[in-house]
Amino acid sequence: MTPVLELRGIDKSFGPVQVLHDVSFSVYPGEVTALVGDNGAGKSTLVKCVGGIHPIDSGDYLFDGKPVQVHSPREAAALGIEIVYQDLALCDNLDIVQNMFLGREHKRGLVLDEDTMEEMAAKTLESLSVRTVKSIRQHVSSLSGGQRQTVAIAKAVLWNSKVVILDEPTAALGVAQTAQVLELVRRLADQGLAVVLISHNMNDVFAVSDRIAALYLGRMAAQVKTSEVTHAQVVELITSGRSGDLGLTNGVPA
Amino acid sequence: MRAGPSQEEIRRHNLGALLRHVHLGGPTSRAELTSRMGLNRSTIMALTADLTAAGLVREELPRETGRAGRPSLVVRPESARVYVFALDVGVDRLVAARVGLGGTIIDRREAVRRRGPFSLEEVVGPLAAFARQMHRKTRPDTVCVGVAAAFSGGVDRGDGVVRFGPNMGSVDVPFGEEMARRLGLGLPVAVGNDANLAALAEHTRGVGVGCRDLVYLHGDVGVGGGVIVNGTLLGGHQGFGGEVGHMVVNPKGRSCGCGSLGCLEAEVGERALLEAAGRFDGSGALVGRDAVRAVVDAADRGDIVAQAALSRVGDWLGLGVANLANIFNPEMVVFGGMLREVYLGSAAQVRSRLATDALPPVREHLRLRTSALGDDATLVGAAELAFAQVLADPLEVLARAGS
Repeated sequence: MTPVLELRGIDKSFGPVQVLHDVSFSVYPGEVTALVGDNGAGKSTLVKCVGGIHPIDSGDYLFDGKPVQVHSPREAAALGIEIVYQDLALCDNLDIVQNMFLGREHKRGLVLDEDTMEEMAAKTLESLSVRTVKSIRQHVSSLSGGQRQTVAIAKAVLWNSKVVILDEPTAALGVAQTAQVLELVRRLADQGLAVVLISHNMNDVFAVSDRIAALYLGRMAAQVKTSEVTHAQVVELITSGRSGDLGLTNGVPA
Repeated sequence: MRAGPSQEEIRRHNLGALLRHVHLGGPTSRAELTSRMGLNRSTIMALTADLTAAGLVREELPRETGRAGRPSLVVRPESARVYVFALDVGVDRLVAARVGLGGTIIDRREAVRRRGPFSLEEVVGPLAAFARQMHRKTRPDTVCVGVAAAFSGGVDRGDGVVRFGPNMGSVDVPFGEEMARRLGLGLPVAVGNDANLAALAEHTRGVGVGCRDLVYLHGDVGVGGGVIVNGTLLGGHQGFGGEVGHMVVNPKGRSCGCGSLGCLEAEVGERALLEAAGRFDGSGALVGRDAVRAVVDAADRGDIVAQAALSRVGDWLGLGVANLANIFNPEMVVFGGMLREVYLGSAAQVRSRLATDALPPVREHLRLRTSALGDDATLVGAAELAFAQVLADPLEVLARAGS
């Protein structure tokens, strides 16, 4: 299977501080790839490089097997890459439909095409089996944390995206809502999307992921199939960059 | 030697097959039915005409096709007219529902069952009352084509008698017979093991659609299961197959309600989790799904005792799943009932066990999923059992029900 998104040998520095060293990372369609690592390991920087927020210093960025240049979030979105950040970037004073189309509104002549947008939003939520939202004309301020996360994810899926990156989607949620969001994450991948899940919670990672990519001090310690590793091995990769035959040797990938 | 099937048998089979497509797939255009069933257009037309005349389906123009040309008529199940009663007998709850053709739950009633000694009357009485209430509310042109119950216990395939139910405290209960007598609808009551029926429900309408080989694990007070092999539920010689909860995983382990030691149910069931979390006081103050959720919630908030309890239970659950994966090589394992919460809260342990104890080729493509039907899985399974007859021989069953 060819990865839909592939990074090879990515380096990234902020002034004198190098934060990503020779990082390779592959994301496959129909799979959930968990991106794990300690605080400061480089997860957020890597995601921002993928999303076109930070330009990469060197390395290859391939999409659908072809080398591409991504210089802005708009270019990443045009490829079909959507990122849901922890703060969700939703506007409290707008309703669900308005939020989902914010900045990309459909127009009919000079006016907004509310009917089409409403229908598309409803269809997207339905295709994700989201039944927790009462009305799609509800203001986002009235939604619970889990519902907000759901709307943010639905917004990402609306644009025929191919890769959806979720930054700690369950971090601020209770157990019942976490379960719903995890099931939604799994459903996205089962429908053929490539999903990247950033999480610190090992149960969440093991519950839904097909692969685990572990970053350690700015290097990719290992990218493994979830069915091949144990909890203890992943924790070792996160904390020491190495576990048995897996991981880095003297700070360099094996 | 038997001759090939007669014209009449083929027609009956095709009628049933068409009705099944519409029942499971929802409104479907004639053109789509033609390609899905591999029959020609005039046959599909004749079959739909028969089913329409019997009042099982209805044909109408699609709303919008967005394509040029004369639109193909859409065949819809008569959900408001043709229905079944589905009953669910769990340890903590009794549910009765009226389910329309196509699988929509039209009406439902639920009662809490108190844990204690089993009494047939205390189960049959409320369920019969619920069914009568719902029956009274139906319009005169509706028709009930079947009744079925999901029962938390081992059901004999031969006579529908519940032979054992350690968590219900029931032995040799002629539940189906008594239920049919009390309903007085003139219909027999089919009875199935709840976890078996939930497995079928997930296979036909839930997360396992399109999956030929799956193992479903159902957590209630105990742990039940259903094994689907090549699209068929594994029943065994008498229908007691798939009791995965009584697979021994820890021979020196905790005692089980069945009398054995270290059954999967004894190690991962509700009581095991609550005891390990120090939340089982025997008074029955907080039991059932709420108690399980409370443990998962506490673990999520950082309670180390709850975390340790989940971790321990997850370890045994993983061992059980590894054994099942090695034996059946399923495409998917589905966690239902309270095991949904337990799996999500202990997935790291479950999958670590799989990584070490399941054979590499078996675990590589195994998909672990949570139930899509949730708490309704057993009820939906009962409804599908109730529909089985009308889907096998639509016209005959309808004629009998209508008379």
